Amino acid sequence: MKAALRLLLVFLPALLPVLLLGAGAAEAHPHVWITSTSELIYAPDGTLTGVRHAWTFDEMFAAYALQGIETKTKGAYTREELAPLAQTNVESLKEYAYFTFAKADGRKEKFNEPVDYFLDYKDNQLTLHFTLPLKAPFKAKALVLEVFDHSFFIDFKLAEKDPVRMVGAPEGCQMKIQRPSDGSASAQQLNEQTFMDGGANSNFGMMFANKITVDCP
Amino acid sequence: MKRFSPLAGRLAACAVAAIALVALDGAVQSVMAQNPFGGPRPAPGSEIGGLVGWILSKQSEFYREISAALRLAKSDGSAVWSLLAVSFAYGIFHAAGPGHGKAVISSYLVANRETARRGIALSFASALMQSLVAITVVAVIAWLLNATAKTMCGAEKAIEIGSYALIAAFGASLVWTKGGRFMRALQATRPEPALAVADHGHRHGHDHDHGDGHVHDDHCGHSHGPAPEELAGPGGWRRGLAAVLSVGIRPCSGAILVLVFALAQGLFWAGIAATLVMGLGTAITVAIIAVVAVSARDLARRLSEAREGSGVLIMRGIEFGAAGLVLLFGSGLLLGYITAERVTCL
Repeated sequence: MKAALRLLLVFLPALLPVLLLGAGAAEAHPHVWITSTSELIYAPDGTLTGVRHAWTFDEMFAAYALQGIETKTKGAYTREELAPLAQTNVESLKEYAYFTFAKADGRKEKFNEPVDYFLDYKDNQLTLHFTLPLKAPFKAKALVLEVFDHSFFIDFKLAEKDPVRMVGAPEGCQMKIQRPSDGSASAQQLNEQTFMDGGANSNFGMMFANKITVDCP
Repeated sequence: MKRFSPLAGRLAACAVAAIALVALDGAVQSVMAQNPFGGPRPAPGSEIGGLVGWILSKQSEFYREISAALRLAKSDGSAVWSLLAVSFAYGIFHAAGPGHGKAVISSYLVANRETARRGIALSFASALMQSLVAITVVAVIAWLLNATAKTMCGAEKAIEIGSYALIAAFGASLVWTKGGRFMRALQATRPEPALAVADHGHRHGHDHDHGDGHVHDDHCGHSHGPAPEELAGPGGWRRGLAAVLSVGIRPCSGAILVLVFALAQGLFWAGIAATLVMGLGTAITVAIIAVVAVSARDLARRLSEAREGSGVLIMRGIEFGAAGLVLLFGSGLLLGYITAERVTCL
């Protein structure tokens, strides 16, 4: 007992810095801002085959990314000139699972490596285009797609206008979009969702994730 | 009762640290497990309540203003002043976030019984070094060599790993020293028969340094003053330098981005000024936290003074624990259990 007390006395003050500073230990703030538009791509038989993203970077990150890239015309970048950078981008994104997380009827789905990727530079805006094919295309009654960076180094924002389009979706499919800041992740919905997903903890992510749900008959 | 040899004592202390590391590994992983992709995680920014949320939203705000001010400075020279002001504010708030070695510096100060004044000096030195490294990286890679972001990101990654390895090595050396002292204190306070008492007296003669121990108002119980070379002083400065080096070598991603952006705008000098001012703000926050840590340790020392004998043990334990923390931070960062600010690689 006395030994335990002593141990506590030893480690409490030593842990003070951690208690003091640890609260923010995993909390970064965004350094990169991405405005995202996406397409859900369906096969003729109604299976979802993949997601096509177009991510526009903020000006500061664009300057960083474009650093040192040789161009024929100053300030203008062609798709070919940007090809090596696009290659680097998609390779780096793999580590973060492309910040894209899909669930079909509650089951996690995986993506293959991106195809048809390229960067374009228009109106001083750098945009990365890429298609993520699903490892196993599926038909789902309830599809949930989230785009976010769990460490919040990148702040993803869905574009104001038409952020998500369904391409060739079966008739009767209903899409809903939830943005992190629009307050739709209300307590009540959270509870309801929590119940449906069968996990008390599985849904706080949606408070800041860009959540796209598609319900099909 | 057989006395441990000093070497065995140190080895035992290091073993304890290693075991604690493994135990913490599991603990940390289970904590991290609450943050998988798509998993639960407190919402960032405005949705986090309280002080942390406020700090997060403020630094985010200031960071965005830096890029706006830089853009403005291109056409309007007077915008440089607002750039500097925003950078300073950003530095103050940003240092409250991850990285910047607050935890390492604070733990080191506690472990090595540094004074608050030296804590402040170390905070400023490491923040200055951080700024200078960021400026050097961008100046050499982007400005001189005109290399691509890929090269820069590679350099950032290498520096990052080097920094974490340095922190771990630094922590290991602290654990080694402080572990030995902790073990000695542990043996000294153990109620032992005659032999130990005799031994006690013997050790008293060797270890107690009246001049040093008492001039510095360093309460050492009734025996076992610190060996002179372990006190702050010439050796202490060298160790302080190790703290500055291990922490300061890693530049913050924000500074790198701001510098490259400034370079792209043709305002590299403004970016350098902003980075230095940012470092100044960072230093202030780190220094405040360092002073809090030193004060907490002094408070613990005063509380433990009341306890004859075991007071020494408690203080040695605290120092040992703090040394262990430095090692833990280093290895945790190195192995990826503790996430610092990510480097800008996309």
